[in-house]
Amino acid sequence: MKVAGKYSDAELLAAIREEQDLNKAILYLYQQYAASTSSFIFQYGGSEQDADDVFQETVISFIDVVKKGKYRMEASIKTFLVSVARNIWFNELKKRERSDHREKLFERGRDQEEADISWQISDLEKRRQLRDLVHQLGEPCKKILLLYYYEDLSMKEIVEHLPYENEQVVRNKKYKCLQSLTGLIKGSPAIARQMGEVFK
Amino acid sequence: MEQHQALIDHLDKSLQGESSPEMEQLLSNDPEAAREWNYLLLAVDAIQEAGLQQQVATIKEEWKIQQAIVVKPTGGIVRRMSRNIAKIAAILVLVAGGAAFYKYATISSGSLYNKYYSSYELGTSRGAGDENAVEKAYHTRDWNAVLSGFNASKRDNKMDFLAGMADLELKKYDDAIEHFEQVMAVNAQSGSDYFQDEAQYYLAISWLAKNKVNEALPILEKIRANKDHLFHDKVAKMSFLDLRLVQYKENK
Repeated sequence: MKVAGKYSDAELLAAIREEQDLNKAILYLYQQYAASTSSFIFQYGGSEQDADDVFQETVISFIDVVKKGKYRMEASIKTFLVSVARNIWFNELKKRERSDHREKLFERGRDQEEADISWQISDLEKRRQLRDLVHQLGEPCKKILLLYYYEDLSMKEIVEHLPYENEQVVRNKKYKCLQSLTGLIKGSPAIARQMGEVFK
Repeated sequence: MEQHQALIDHLDKSLQGESSPEMEQLLSNDPEAAREWNYLLLAVDAIQEAGLQQQVATIKEEWKIQQAIVVKPTGGIVRRMSRNIAKIAAILVLVAGGAAFYKYATISSGSLYNKYYSSYELGTSRGAGDENAVEKAYHTRDWNAVLSGFNASKRDNKMDFLAGMADLELKKYDDAIEHFEQVMAVNAQSGSDYFQDEAQYYLAISWLAKNKVNEALPILEKIRANKDHLFHDKVAKMSFLDLRLVQYKENK
């Protein structure tokens, strides 16, 4: 298998923070840590698909935390990832209203070494809701917003990617799409509630 | 409206590291503008979250494919396995590995397009009303007549979709994509869904025909996730492992 470089914890954090070949860093996370976090999910009743979903969510959370400069080097990356995955799985089990027995099993599992990531988990649901709103946009809108605000492409570069006549058309379209997205956010009760708390 | 546009301009400039003292002042003095500004920041967060999710999902699939196509030697010592069983296992591994490599070598967006493309039967999912010339030509599979009957000044989603299908049949993939995206753009603006599912599915198929699996895959994933989509069952039967394999090959 092609190995995605070899990183120390510090190098990996720097690669993510500075977005130096982020794809390689993500591949490294999968190669190094997917198996150990997945085994925990299997141990507590999860399927392969569950492990797959939970680790993907874990990687997204990890990158998000590192990019925002919130990662505290209190534990190794492995410990952090396993802790995040455990908590995501715990919340998922709660959502699925599994039996008390399974939750007790889980709580026993939580006694092991664990990084303090409760603050990160509380943010997870909000981030999921935000992502869902983007997916509610039509494909053309999603594409234009991702190219501009995620891929950091200029208007000129976007014209080369999408079937629009010129930069002004793209600019108008982007404006409308961003307006649609803020409309969806305003119309989302859960998000509006959180925003309400911010504005209090 | 003007203020909203000004806020978006300010947002774009501030993301590029530029600042505007006037806008900063507006945001600290006008609570309504500050509120809108926070919604815009939240929208950018949402887009970046969705982008990161898409990027991680793509790499995950690459990792899965790497795991699937490369048979790792175990490195362990075979203690109790008899020589014959070991030979059979080795042959099976070789056959499986060979099949995986053969698949990897031969698979492409084009081959998946050939596998998954099927013509659209007009009238099977929509009511048959009074037919116009374009619809009649479509029924007789006269693709050139469909295109010559298409009138851009009198277009609607159905006409654009049928013209897109005619382009697809004639292997004019860029034109087909333009028609399908037009349908989706009109729906996005009007909030309707007239021929939305059809255009979405055949847009993905057109991207496959153009060997652009990176464009096709997100659309197909969206269809697969939506059980109410007209083409959900069709897409659910597709092999996403094959699609990911092609994506891995094409991104290399």
